[in-house]
Amino acid sequence: MKGIVKRFGGVVALDRVDFGVRPGEVMALVGDNGAGKSTLIKVLAGAYEPDGGEILLGGRPVTFKTPQDAQKHGIATIFQELALAAKMPIADNIFLGQELTRKLFGIPFLDRRTMRNRTRQLLSDLDVHVPDMNAWVENLSGGQRQGIAIARALNVDANLIVMDEPTAALAVAEVDKVLQFIDSVRSQGKGVVVISHNIQDVFEVSDRITVLRQGRQIGVRETGATTPEEIIGLITGASAVKVRTRRPNRVPSEAN
Amino acid sequence: MTSLSRFARDAQRELILVLAILMICALFASQSEFFLTERNLTTVLRRSVDLAIIGAGMTLVIMSGGIDVSVGGILAVSAIFIGRAFEADLPAPIVVIIGVSVGTLLGLMNGAICAKAKVPPIIATLGSMYVFIAVLYLVIGGTWISGLPDTLSFLTRGDVAGIPVGVFIIAAVYGFCWILLHRQPWGRHLCAIGNDEGAARLVGIPVDRVKMQAYALLGLLAGLAAVLYVARLRNVEVNIGTNVALEAIAATILGGANIRGGVGSLIGTLLGVVFIKLMQNGLVLIGVSSLWEGVVIGGLLVVVLSIDALQSRYRYGRSL
Repeated sequence: MKGIVKRFGGVVALDRVDFGVRPGEVMALVGDNGAGKSTLIKVLAGAYEPDGGEILLGGRPVTFKTPQDAQKHGIATIFQELALAAKMPIADNIFLGQELTRKLFGIPFLDRRTMRNRTRQLLSDLDVHVPDMNAWVENLSGGQRQGIAIARALNVDANLIVMDEPTAALAVAEVDKVLQFIDSVRSQGKGVVVISHNIQDVFEVSDRITVLRQGRQIGVRETGATTPEEIIGLITGASAVKVRTRRPNRVPSEAN
Repeated sequence: MTSLSRFARDAQRELILVLAILMICALFASQSEFFLTERNLTTVLRRSVDLAIIGAGMTLVIMSGGIDVSVGGILAVSAIFIGRAFEADLPAPIVVIIGVSVGTLLGLMNGAICAKAKVPPIIATLGSMYVFIAVLYLVIGGTWISGLPDTLSFLTRGDVAGIPVGVFIIAAVYGFCWILLHRQPWGRHLCAIGNDEGAARLVGIPVDRVKMQAYALLGLLAGLAAVLYVARLRNVEVNIGTNVALEAIAATILGGANIRGGVGSLIGTLLGVVFIKLMQNGLVLIGVSSLWEGVVIGGLLVVVLSIDALQSRYRYGRSL
């Protein structure tokens, strides 16, 4: 992505942002609240149309008008809000917008059996256990729901998987599972973009880190050649770090 | 979980409705000998067809998170076109096509206002209802269109193999809608929109188009109901379609649809229609003023909505 610009009314959410991922690489995207991370990946996912700049895929420019366009080009996105329909069963959610059909008298009907079998396969690959395949998604735990959103992304045969805050709502064991999953996707030679607030997770899983601040890309670092302190400095702006180190006793109250 | 207990869970509302229907049947039968006669029940059935097919469309619209309070107006305007087409001596099939097309167009218009202009559906359709009713008055004034031919009467009075034609119409409409809802991608998209419109957009569902199609389908079914109405009564009068919207919405909600969208049951709606129509008939037979009909149906609607709201609050509280 080169020089991406996105405005909402008079607000410039993304200001000429450059962002890239190589095959077989995990790129972390970090930044403070409102830095433009989610906006950037929604542009990449086809959910927003950029006001400027271009998206290059394998060196060729592409335009996405809808999320389906992006999927057709092999980009699967797991949104922070997961985009699940709460009062619908698991398989319906995994295939939402990309239902499998088979023709009966020339009319496409839902192929429920194949979708259910594929769902079972995807969930067991991800080691996600659900009590009842027909259960509504709203009756599942946060980790199970995350697993279903990941299964949906895997179901599209994607070359690039984008995950917005995949670990934010999860328990520790579930976080480990997601990080393992990211590793396995990377080993298949696919690209992964991970947005996270958790610097520890970022350092554990990523190859490179891109930092956004106030809608601008202000740095790309090799994970092996940087430190959490440097990244936090980039995220907050260096002066903010100084304030923090001068008044360490204020940190707990800031957490509220 | 055994399949029987799963059935009891998934079909809870339908089972309650069946019990409620049996209860009011027993109540009315004990007060009126005529209630359970074949002739009375057949009459009730023949008069339920219009509401039943509108109820199917209403179920789809409510499941999408919308509502249409103007169906009575759509029915009325379609009926005017049907009446005028009859008066112009057009052949019956053309008359049917005109009626159904007018309904579809008006439904599509409602859908466009809700989906494209993002006007809240209840306000948009309340507005269009007043426009439709105004059209009705402007076109036919205080008079009736009456003395229409009986070329379509077999649709409401005829039998095939001893079974009223209306049964086949209901079966066809509900079968069609059920397949759309449960066996076509369209139905899954509709359901997802009712659950979470933002999520539906993120996964790339053409939200506006699906919504407009749902309203257009409801309009089509209201047009078809207008055909049956004119076929049955052979006139178009000023107060046509007055209570249809309330009854269709009540049947849908009684049948288990969530007024906020995402959940609904076609079978439940059909049972809701049966319940409402038997209730109306029974109240008349035991000598209760028909003015009480509105109290009973409107009251039931409020009670069921309150119970649903309390139940979901309880569940929500517990799951958190």
